[in-house]
Amino acid sequence: MIEITNLTFDYPGHRALNDVTLTVANGSVTALVGPNGAGKTTLMRCIAGLETPLTGTITVADMDVSDRTRDVHRVMGYLSDFFGLYQDLTVARCLEYAAAAQGLPEADIPAAIERTARQLNLSDRLQQTSGSLSRGLRQRIAIGQAIIHQPKVLLLDEPASGLDPEARASLAELFRQLQADGMTLLVSSHILSELDEYSTHMLALRDGRILENREIKLAHQSDVHRCLHLELAQPDELLPQWLQAYAQVTLKTATANHAEFDFHGDMHAQALLLKSLIHEGFSVSSLAEQKENLQQSYLRSVAAHLEAQQ
Amino acid sequence: MNNPEFKRNLWLSFSRHRLIGMPSLLGLTFLALTFTDQQGEVAGSLYNVSVWLFIFIVWLWGARNANAAIVDELRDHTWDQQRMSALDPWTMTWGKLFGSTSFNWYGGLMCLAVIAVSGFGADKPDVIPTLLTLCAVGVLLHAALIALNLHTSRFESRIIQRGGLGWLMIILVFIFMPAFAIQPAQSVTWWGMEIGHAIFWLGSSLLFAACAIFAAWRVVCNALQVRTLPWAWPAFACILAFYLGGFVPGGDSVLQPLLVIGLLVSVTLSYVAMFTEPNTLLRWRKLRLLQERQDSRGWLGHLPLWPTTLALSFLFAFLILLTAHNVQPGIGRMALIEAPHALTIALMLLRDACILLFFAFAPNAKRAAGAAILYLVVLNLLLPFLAGVAGLDLVRYFFLPFEGEYDPWSSVLVMTIHTGIAIWLVNWRLRKSEQL
Repeated sequence: MIEITNLTFDYPGHRALNDVTLTVANGSVTALVGPNGAGKTTLMRCIAGLETPLTGTITVADMDVSDRTRDVHRVMGYLSDFFGLYQDLTVARCLEYAAAAQGLPEADIPAAIERTARQLNLSDRLQQTSGSLSRGLRQRIAIGQAIIHQPKVLLLDEPASGLDPEARASLAELFRQLQADGMTLLVSSHILSELDEYSTHMLALRDGRILENREIKLAHQSDVHRCLHLELAQPDELLPQWLQAYAQVTLKTATANHAEFDFHGDMHAQALLLKSLIHEGFSVSSLAEQKENLQQSYLRSVAAHLEAQQ
Repeated sequence: MNNPEFKRNLWLSFSRHRLIGMPSLLGLTFLALTFTDQQGEVAGSLYNVSVWLFIFIVWLWGARNANAAIVDELRDHTWDQQRMSALDPWTMTWGKLFGSTSFNWYGGLMCLAVIAVSGFGADKPDVIPTLLTLCAVGVLLHAALIALNLHTSRFESRIIQRGGLGWLMIILVFIFMPAFAIQPAQSVTWWGMEIGHAIFWLGSSLLFAACAIFAAWRVVCNALQVRTLPWAWPAFACILAFYLGGFVPGGDSVLQPLLVIGLLVSVTLSYVAMFTEPNTLLRWRKLRLLQERQDSRGWLGHLPLWPTTLALSFLFAFLILLTAHNVQPGIGRMALIEAPHALTIALMLLRDACILLFFAFAPNAKRAAGAAILYLVVLNLLLPFLAGVAGLDLVRYFFLPFEGEYDPWSSVLVMTIHTGIAIWLVNWRLRKSEQL
């Protein structure tokens, strides 16, 4: 859905994006992560056509952003980190303006407002002025303005900042729903645990370069390669040796009473492993998948990057 | 209503209270004027007061609202949302132009109705041209302010970001505002034609209102990433030169004065553009990359405005040189400059542009325009003045080579040396920046 080739963007005295090449898959939710100054916001603004890069090309839905900026905007929604609202307009009018400005036919606008307000739990606030609402509610209006025209691509820069835990949970639910509807989302946030809930891909940036751009495995997927954690109720010195000898196991750490290892096999193979362990007399108290969360994944990428630099 | 931008402005500008308040206030004012008239000249008084009320409501208050149209969007961080919309530049332009000032036009239309009725009642001359001129000047002011604020929106100066340049323009306009609506009818000689005062001002205001609307549209195009080719700015210089050239008593030779005015207008517009648009190193790097890729359309689309009028200045300078031998002394010749001085002026502009770029390409270039202006004042005013006071006439001539006692071609030589040094400085700065 988004194709970026050799993108370079400079600020005076500072290269914000350095020869970035990446692809964002259609229908994915990509978590854009990285430290402050990594180039996340600049990357989003370039994709949105709000900034002109020094070099490189960006295509969104097969349209070149620099050549067909206005057409790209019809299929794109963008929530800026520093979004603004028309404080004196009611929520309904904010949404109506956004819908009309994105080219929705006039007849479709009332239904779009109703749908968006329902999605964001704003139905009972439609007649209130946006300036009279809390930061969290205004954030929801801004998201509503970005999605009211049902774009194919949605760019969200720190969408959950200022939201309470309940609103964050419903936001995560909304993003899952939008993804299920076929929308492609690129979401940047500092709160990685929050991205963990709905992201399918991780794009890690550091100093304007890509550290990692990969798919995140989901718990429900039938993995053939997982990290497992084993706990024994009774210590057994033979455990490391036994696991080492097991064909589908690549041992990471092991002691007499616990072990962590990569397992190459499906759920049936894992059941067989458990059966073998018990049969060998190990007092297994737990064997569970140790799912790497986004935070761990990101930190591992950073560590690998730093190690490569040294 | 199929312009969302216009509609949004109507929502923000009109409330029931304001909708009733404006006609009530104006109605009461006109009623009071009618009742207090003791000289039997109600129509004349109403005409004058309604003209001034229109000037206040549409020109001054409307200018304030037009000035805020962009400034408020930038301040409230809603401009990005507008840029992300699917609105085309023309829809956005007229939506802002007439939307942000809609309440002023609401009051203005009532004033126009009173001007028309009282003007005809009092047998005032040129009522219709006056009405149209009032409207055209209002549109001209509003469009020019929108264009100016968007054009300078990338400046980091807080004064500029808060619409300071717009306010400066409003103040200047009102200081120098010709009170044409109440002046006695006179004729104007323009390109040898005798044109009625009211008709001439109507034509002038319509021409410049059209230019201002076009400028606003072009600036909105750039803001919405719709790339345009840079022909409009030099075309405006030519239009302005032609307009001003009409006032010169030409006699038989009109070409030379026209070329001189063209040169002076191009130089002035170059300086205006140079100091009001970003001249960052990044922009010039982008241009160089586009040039290397032989992307001429992209190159022209990213080119700042001032090089276009700089090129036009050189064109006018060479045309002045080429046509100088045809000029009959004393007949239609502008004694303002010697022909070679035209080239000196164009070279001086190039030198000053290089000085600005030298500061703009510095690693810490936040106040490049300010630093460049300071050095230009020193170079063009202070040093020649000090040399003059010290009696060093030749030194003074080296800094400001426009004195008649020397061969005019020597001024070209002097300014070529200046320009050469300035170009070398810019190249040096570029090489240094590439090493960083």
